[in-house]
Amino acid sequence: MDKILINKNIVELNDFLSLVNNLKETGKYLLGIVASDERKFDSKFNIKYFFGGNGIIDEYLVKVDEKFQSISKICPAAKMYEREIHDLFGLVPDGHPDLRALMLYPENWDFSVQPLKKDYDNLVPKVKEYGKYKFKEVSGEGIFEVLVGPVHAGIIEPGHFRFSLAGEPVLQLEIRHFWKHRGIEKVCEGKDFNEVMNLVIKISGDNNVNIAISYLQAVESILNIELTERAKYIRMIYAEIERIWNYVRDVAWIFMDIGFALPAQNLFSLQEELMRLNKSLTGQRFLFNSLTVGGVNFDIDSLKIKAIAETIERVEKVMKECEAFILNSSTVLDRLEFTGKINKKTAEELSLCGISARASGLPRDTRIEFPYLIYGKFDLKPVLFESGDVFARTALRIKEIYVSKKIIGDLLFNLPEGDIIVAYENKPEAYKYAVGNSETARGNAFFYVMADDKGKIFRLKYIDPSFRIWPSIQYGVLGNIIADFPLINKSLNLSYSGNDM
Amino acid sequence: MSFLSKLLFKSKAQDIVDDKSGSALIKEDELKRSVDEVLGRSLFVRLVDSGSCNACENELAALSNPYYDLERFGIKFVASPKHADVLMITGCVTRNMLNPLLKTYENIPSPKFVITVGDCPETGGPFKDSYSVCGPVSKYLTVAMHIKGCPPEPEAIILGFLKFMDMIKISHKVSFGS
Repeated sequence: MDKILINKNIVELNDFLSLVNNLKETGKYLLGIVASDERKFDSKFNIKYFFGGNGIIDEYLVKVDEKFQSISKICPAAKMYEREIHDLFGLVPDGHPDLRALMLYPENWDFSVQPLKKDYDNLVPKVKEYGKYKFKEVSGEGIFEVLVGPVHAGIIEPGHFRFSLAGEPVLQLEIRHFWKHRGIEKVCEGKDFNEVMNLVIKISGDNNVNIAISYLQAVESILNIELTERAKYIRMIYAEIERIWNYVRDVAWIFMDIGFALPAQNLFSLQEELMRLNKSLTGQRFLFNSLTVGGVNFDIDSLKIKAIAETIERVEKVMKECEAFILNSSTVLDRLEFTGKINKKTAEELSLCGISARASGLPRDTRIEFPYLIYGKFDLKPVLFESGDVFARTALRIKEIYVSKKIIGDLLFNLPEGDIIVAYENKPEAYKYAVGNSETARGNAFFYVMADDKGKIFRLKYIDPSFRIWPSIQYGVLGNIIADFPLINKSLNLSYSGNDM
Repeated sequence: MSFLSKLLFKSKAQDIVDDKSGSALIKEDELKRSVDEVLGRSLFVRLVDSGSCNACENELAALSNPYYDLERFGIKFVASPKHADVLMITGCVTRNMLNPLLKTYENIPSPKFVITVGDCPETGGPFKDSYSVCGPVSKYLTVAMHIKGCPPEPEAIILGFLKFMDMIKISHKVSFGS
């Protein structure tokens, strides 16, 4: 099995700031910050910082009591992670510019209760108002606010957006999320690895295969499981099918939002065909429960190979027609080009990943940076665009559908014989941990899993691509007219449920 | 334009049903008739996601694709609760969404009905033991019907609407004796 290369370090609290500065200069970027309550070993909280880049993950461990040094000022991507740690562990990031509550709303939660501490007694405070959330204020002559959400007009998930406008252009957007905070990390603790699969796939339903791949990578590395070649191939086939149907839907919604119903409805039909393909493969339209610890649950026979090949052939045909249709329409280009521009510098500072990074010219694709399963055997090149606007993100999805189609074609053609699942002994080393990485249709999915002494989960942390990318919208909309916001939002198509956890 | 000629206006409705036996969509005329009869040709639905995994929303959105095209039955998802007859709820009711959910319900004019979609709003699903989940929905609102499934397929949701119409018809007869 391809192991992720991890370079482990323990650092003192004091010299961490200058270290982060040096890291950034060498082209490293923040993958995630994971806190964990390990007071039972040395009465300290552990905070682990993971930096990616150059094919290696660097891990820095800082041990803290109640305060830790905030790195948000030199590494803005850390801002949300530090607020999250402040909420769930009660640790205070020293020098953090904005310590408002993130997921435990003062409107209904007593802040003296921190659920991810190990001594939390599972008692929930009474639902009543404990405090108020203060929004940022923009003042000046003629400035007004538009409030949207949490319950939106369409069939989408809840989130609150607060625009400050002067005329039509947006001066500031403040996003308040975590309405759907379900406390998944806490629910996972004390359960065994297979039981947790059911929760992992429900983090963000439309990306469940790729998220599960990341989780299983961590778990199988803890349990020392070596997958069969066939299982790896099948996992990759499911992952790429999921990517294709996600992209088809995303492109369809972009056209729906610019009022261009013809290609949109054709792509929705195409999405439906892909969902039905999923059902014929695994009995489930979202490919839920298709993977398991040690392999996959559903084999692919010659009939299924034929069905997949035919469908993806059709996908390519329709996408090609669609692409030509779009690129020839000046009204479409007029809406897409220069809208919702996220600069390369912003993308770098916020450690973006996935589509949003590649559309802004950052070559970040987990399949290429940290190859897993058998992605290493494919000579993949990141598809890149420089402009960072809605057009770049749309075109990038279309181009990547062709890449995924080629990958699936190769996999189907070379599918090796063998078992699809291996037996394993469920006895990991006590307190062993591992990380998992995969590329979902939205970007990098990062898992940190630590086992306890009974082979159950001691700490599980998942970082969704949406969690990293959401703040970038606040920069992408600046100067755009408010009517373009839905389009910009759809062009990133981020998950609320994955973000809120 | 070849794209137009090849794909456009090709009716998808006839290949909705994969297996001919026992499909909800064979009864599609019945659904339309029911909506026409009982609710004066319109059933307006307001959706609130109270903490789902986004799969149910995907299936609800799929109801308006050319294969299912729910609006031809007179059933429409509306933007404001003030326009709605039915509150449709997905998700496990998180602590943070409880207040917006109840406020949406309050803003729907009577008579109003609650339909839940998926297993989460009925039981809490895999999240029920969480500190941050305070469902199920039935703790707070009277639920007319649960559409089961994780997530329920579009066909199951349409079948759910059909059953709901039957329910209304029966209660109609009881209360108005017609």
